[in-house]
Amino acid sequence: MIVELSGHSLLVFVGIPVLVIAVLALLVFASSIANGPRYRPGLSWWAPPVWINGPTATKPDPANLPELPELTSAPGSTATAATGVARTLGGASASW
Amino acid sequence: MPAGDAFTPDQLYDIEKAVRYAEETSGLHFSVYVGGADSETRPFAIELLNELDDPDRTVLVYVDPAGRRLEIVIGELAKRQLSDSSAGLAALTMQTSFATGDLTGGLVTGVQQLGTHAHQPPMLHANDEAHKL
Repeated sequence: MIVELSGHSLLVFVGIPVLVIAVLALLVFASSIANGPRYRPGLSWWAPPVWINGPTATKPDPANLPELPELTSAPGSTATAATGVARTLGGASASW
Repeated sequence: MPAGDAFTPDQLYDIEKAVRYAEETSGLHFSVYVGGADSETRPFAIELLNELDDPDRTVLVYVDPAGRRLEIVIGELAKRQLSDSSAGLAALTMQTSFATGDLTGGLVTGVQQLGTHAHQPPMLHANDEAHKL
């Protein structure tokens, strides 16, 4: 049996559910749309460097940084205490 | 937020607030760098520390999101207040947040933790003549 749907029926049985689904989807994704791209470990990093409380107010250009010495110790895969390379610096390292 | 920036203004504010808290608590300087390294992360972080105004009294937190590496470098004088084991604990805290993709939360918690660990209680009556030996 073929039921012919009028415009009003289409609006009620198709239009309203689609509208409800669209509103719910918008609510779900609203925060992520507002916050922009999110950091996802393992994927490429897109943003330029940020230096908070750095030597100047401007962001540094890594191309202008001086040449660095070779690392003498292999980096660990977990958080470990590490010693300084050149001076008696303290600190720690971690990877994730 | 502008396309391509690592943090929203609100997130930057939270991190800067944590840095200010750590500095006021410990009396040390704190600096946070988030970005890629041209070479190995540890020497790169040390070079960044040396570029700061007072590197001996500074704690630098370096995060390489692409390489998934974290370095905490403590200056020579700051080391007296902040041990390597304390830095390791803060690194673990940050590592846990970073692994879930929460860069801001990890930095805020980690920097606050570093500041708290570096806190030195004031010496009461240090300038009082009656208590001097």
